[in-house]
Amino acid sequence: MSDTEIRDGLSYSAEHEWVKVEGDIVIIGITDHAQNALHEITFVEISEVGTVLKANDECGLVESMKASSDIFTPIAGEIIEVNTVLEDAPETINEDCYGAGWMFKIKPSNLEADLAALMDGKGYKAFIESE
Amino acid sequence: MNDRLERTQLYDWHQEYGDVVPFAGWEMPVRYSDIREEHMAVRESVGIFDTSHMFRFFVKGSNASNFLQSVATNNVSNLEINDGQYTTCLNEAGGIHDDLMLYRISEDEYIWITNADNGPKIRDHLLKHSKDFDVEVLDKTKEIAMIAVQGPKALSLIGKMSGKDMDEFGRFTCNPLNIAGYDTFMCRTGYTGEAGAEILVLNCPFSEEGKKRAVGFWNELLSQGAEFDIKPCGLGARDSTRLEAGFVLYGHELDEETSPIEARIPYAVKFKVEPHYIGYDVVQSQKKEGVKKTRIGFVMIDRGIPREKYPILFNGSIIGNTTSGGLSPIINKGIGMGYVTPDTVNDGDIIEIDIKGRRRRAEVTKWPFYDPDKYGETRTS
Repeated sequence: MSDTEIRDGLSYSAEHEWVKVEGDIVIIGITDHAQNALHEITFVEISEVGTVLKANDECGLVESMKASSDIFTPIAGEIIEVNTVLEDAPETINEDCYGAGWMFKIKPSNLEADLAALMDGKGYKAFIESE
Repeated sequence: MNDRLERTQLYDWHQEYGDVVPFAGWEMPVRYSDIREEHMAVRESVGIFDTSHMFRFFVKGSNASNFLQSVATNNVSNLEINDGQYTTCLNEAGGIHDDLMLYRISEDEYIWITNADNGPKIRDHLLKHSKDFDVEVLDKTKEIAMIAVQGPKALSLIGKMSGKDMDEFGRFTCNPLNIAGYDTFMCRTGYTGEAGAEILVLNCPFSEEGKKRAVGFWNELLSQGAEFDIKPCGLGARDSTRLEAGFVLYGHELDEETSPIEARIPYAVKFKVEPHYIGYDVVQSQKKEGVKKTRIGFVMIDRGIPREKYPILFNGSIIGNTTSGGLSPIINKGIGMGYVTPDTVNDGDIIEIDIKGRRRRAEVTKWPFYDPDKYGETRTS
């Protein structure tokens, strides 16, 4: 998996999600490694806007032709937006997982502590190589 | 148990061109390109699958027919030479030990083709129960490769490669056939709902030469099939095509606790047979007196993809569980199968599938899930 893309400036979870802090909100998606492993994503469902989550709560699922995977939020807070593009075009995650294929936005409630539990790009690279 | 995963004669090719995963004790390709692309090749042109991980037992002897009838539920005496049938092998309680294809290749010899994960169990079962009969059971799994050629163009391809008029070979037949210089048994069967064949490629032992031979035949199919847009297909498309056709899969719809009556595969179970097979009395009484669960199919109305082991609800009460599910590339909706309490629902009823805590509506639907006038062996166009 040496050709997997890992972007600098993002935080990464052991559940293969990326987290991007933008002002006072965070954007969350799944990594290139995850979309590549799932392949052909056919369906995405995220909990509704307004849902309040603790870190590591389950908050949705991703279906591929192969399997079903749960989505967990690495960051506690309230879901303020869900990427509606994925409803009709879930394959956007395969095409652009760090961009147009983002999954949901959170207004964080415990950002610093939650971020501290995540990996940076270098740490995540070492993590997927050790898996 | 030996923990080492087995490999088929085609393993090196899969490793080079596919995404290889552990499956039922074997290392097998889940896909080569995209599962959906491979699926559509099978529905629209032709796809090939390595099915060499299934077990191939040869049962021979003057008493072979009686022996087989004592362990299999279809009517063995109905089998003419070069004919095949789908059947099941039961335990004493009428649960399914395995489902299989049985082919008669001569007056006193049959081929029994059984699921990969059940191979060792069935081999023991056959060896144990054959002791009272004058028969020989040989495991030729590792001497013969097996490749499924499936799709509306499958028979055109085999006809071209063998120089034979494929109309000679009806469904479920199994004939010796030389295909592009390779000696085979060409069985007019499959697991996708489409026309095609499962081809036993003889003389393919697990030696360098045997592997080369298996890969040679596989490559010959690919090159001669190029004009039909042939695609190699992995286990992903094998599962999605069988699900769309509504075919049962051992470990999902079938297991030791489920009978063929419950599974609704009546064509595999006959009662006017001698001797009575193991499990006969149980399935006979189930047929007369009813069963505790019955298989249904369904198509999702709401968004969502069903998978196995999800609760099925009707009018707010749980009536059963799913056993398989996924996305149908043909109808582009979630489809699935499962077991429910008998007489709770009928075709057309709206049920709910509990997808990880989210209840989603589905309609109870007959299989196959595609339009049989447009797809599958019964297509008219």
